Amino acid sequence: MAFHRGQKIEVYKKSEDEGWENYMDEFVGCHGVITDPDSTINDPDSLIEVSLEDKGTHRLPQDSLRLLAD
Amino acid sequence: MLEPKCPVMITINKLDKTISSGSLKDPKSRRIAEEILSLMRDIAWGSASSEHIPAIESLAQELIDEGSADACIDTGKLVSSVLSEHPECFLNHVESHNCPTGDCVYLVPAPCQMACPAGIDIPTYVTLIGQGKDAEAIEVIREDNPFPWVCGLVCTRPCEFMCVRGRIDTPVSIKFLKAFAAERAMSEGRYKNPKKQPANNHKVAVIGAGPGGMSAAYYLALKGYSVRIIEALPVAGGMIMVGIPRYRLPREVIDREVAMLEELGVEFVYNTRFGKDISMDQLKAEGFGAFLFAIGAHKSYKLRLPGESDFPQVVDAVKFLKNVALGDRHMPGKRVVIIGGGNVAIDAARTCLRLGCDEVTIAYRRARSEMPADEEEVEQAEEEGVKLSFLTIPMEVTGKDGRVQALKCLRAELVKREGSTRMSPVPVMGSEYFMDVDAVIPAIGQQVDHQCLSELSDLKWTRRNTIEVNMASMATSIDGVFALGDAVTGPATVIEAIGGGKKAADSIDRYFSGIPQRKTPPVPVRHARVDWLEMPASTKMVLKRPEMDLLAIDRRRTMFQQVELGYSENQAREEARRCLRCDICRRCGECVRVCRDEMKIDALQLGYMNFDHPVKTDFRQTEEKCIACGACAENCTNDAMQIMDRDKERVLMICGTILNRQKLVYCEECGAAIGPAKYLDFIKKRFQEAKQIKSGHAVCESCARKKTAPFDVEKVPLPL
Repeated sequence: MAFHRGQKIEVYKKSEDEGWENYMDEFVGCHGVITDPDSTINDPDSLIEVSLEDKGTHRLPQDSLRLLAD
Repeated sequence: MLEPKCPVMITINKLDKTISSGSLKDPKSRRIAEEILSLMRDIAWGSASSEHIPAIESLAQELIDEGSADACIDTGKLVSSVLSEHPECFLNHVESHNCPTGDCVYLVPAPCQMACPAGIDIPTYVTLIGQGKDAEAIEVIREDNPFPWVCGLVCTRPCEFMCVRGRIDTPVSIKFLKAFAAERAMSEGRYKNPKKQPANNHKVAVIGAGPGGMSAAYYLALKGYSVRIIEALPVAGGMIMVGIPRYRLPREVIDREVAMLEELGVEFVYNTRFGKDISMDQLKAEGFGAFLFAIGAHKSYKLRLPGESDFPQVVDAVKFLKNVALGDRHMPGKRVVIIGGGNVAIDAARTCLRLGCDEVTIAYRRARSEMPADEEEVEQAEEEGVKLSFLTIPMEVTGKDGRVQALKCLRAELVKREGSTRMSPVPVMGSEYFMDVDAVIPAIGQQVDHQCLSELSDLKWTRRNTIEVNMASMATSIDGVFALGDAVTGPATVIEAIGGGKKAADSIDRYFSGIPQRKTPPVPVRHARVDWLEMPASTKMVLKRPEMDLLAIDRRRTMFQQVELGYSENQAREEARRCLRCDICRRCGECVRVCRDEMKIDALQLGYMNFDHPVKTDFRQTEEKCIACGACAENCTNDAMQIMDRDKERVLMICGTILNRQKLVYCEECGAAIGPAKYLDFIKKRFQEAKQIKSGHAVCESCARKKTAPFDVEKVPLPL
């Protein structure tokens, strides 16, 4: 599991994953918190739940996210 | 300040400018423009009715038709064109009380509400709980989530991760407050369904009685649809009934909230498997016009280890928990190993203890810090006696005569692989050992069992083996067929499924009404702006999140009784008071800037306003430096910061938290309040020419003018 609950992240790029939808383009640059990482199978490929500041909670591909330093 | 993007706010600003510039000379046109402005402000403040937009259209037309000058006609055209160019935006403000741009500050949700996948208006219901209005709080919650009691016990609470109070000390205990209010409202008989709309003669079939399917059914029933839920199991609830153990979520909680759906007329058909006992064609023949698949993800992944399929004592966690939930209370073995590190593994382990297993071990191939299960759940499991074996890689299930005897394992070490930020477990060669067990429960994840949907050949699936939908509308590749929950996301959270349920209900309603589907997911809707709870800054700072009382440890090891005992009334009311009311304060930081940079006072220590780099917050410090000048309140665009004179004091507060309270000084001449001494000192320093004040007398501006003026205008004879 690359991400843990409560970690601050940035959506730093679009993902090529099929789970990335057009409306998610506006999330690039947003900061948020991991609220439900892949909680069962430790799969780096799974979609994980992220709460983005002012943009709500969404499931995003992990390759679009990077950790923010505290 | 940034330019607004919201058409409503842009129009308000333009109208305001036009009116104050005096360019509308004709009194009638000016009055009409003022009326339009007033109606526009109602829209921006969420207090407009459906009659507002037609009224504005009519007034704008009046300006165009009867305006006496170009300025009047142009104003009418401006309003008319903005209404015709952005009809959805105006409707959204009126009907959903939503301003997605955030410009209409009264209609912008708080971070906790934005974070909630169901979009619950959290600040409103938390404040209502603080006021002792539990049933009203439940009404607010059920606008977006028909299962407040269930969620109050098992929600993964993304809201609390975004709670701004968490930047000061700890987040408000939103989840437990919800459970408290639901239980209280239910026990008092004040947990009621809202009034449903008249029947519209459309029928919807929902496949799966999990939280997502039932949420959709609830909102569809409220809209007047006839809804039938088809469920393979003999009970309603889906994973919340058969996946979550009773010590976390008592069955009665689910039953009581499901009963609310039955009261609305939702029909439940149990023990009926779609694709086997009933088909799509049969349902269509019965008149069902839309279908919603909420079948969950109930199929466990296999370990793919030798011996896994050779022994009946190897039972996957989903099946094990389901059997226990449906009444099978036999222990799987004396010594049990659960393989996995997620919440399901923890649930299975704690369930084993309660069934009487002597030794329960969780084998996880990574370290504790990598464990995906909730920390609280892990702690509680350890307290109860569950052993955790980290860096343990299962190799083989071994046994004799059809009975499991051991799990062959390898020890692992965590190594950072090239090009990866994550630590990976790597086996330590030669470290094989046997863990003596007589039952093995794999809990390494679930997937969607799509066998039941084989008749839907046009249904598209993702590479993750989930149903492909448009996440904004939950529509699948088949017309009239929608899907939600774990079947769409893979194993996810209860609150996501519930949020998906409301979204799907809206999309099905649009489908029947012939309205185009949403292109983006809906933004949460605010339902009210309730009064804040007033308290001193010291109270706001010292109130701490209460610890949850737990059942005695001996009972936890032996019974399925609920472990978390809930908050007392006093704890709940106090906890609600910790809410910062971020639905009112947008944390723009203007108050801090004005106080520090313009007034050079720097009295506001409100470090929580920054998401990325919150610094220290102490509401109590304001009193030390604040002069109660009111510059912060004057520049607050949200009415979050307010200053007022009352009971011989000047009081400054932010969302009800009293930051400063200073005794007022009164004019020696007329008795009018002229401000606190600190403020007058500040003025004295800034305006040395205010002689009366400087000389030690406290007089108001008006009396000072009277005293220092060379003559009294009232006594000067009028020129002839």
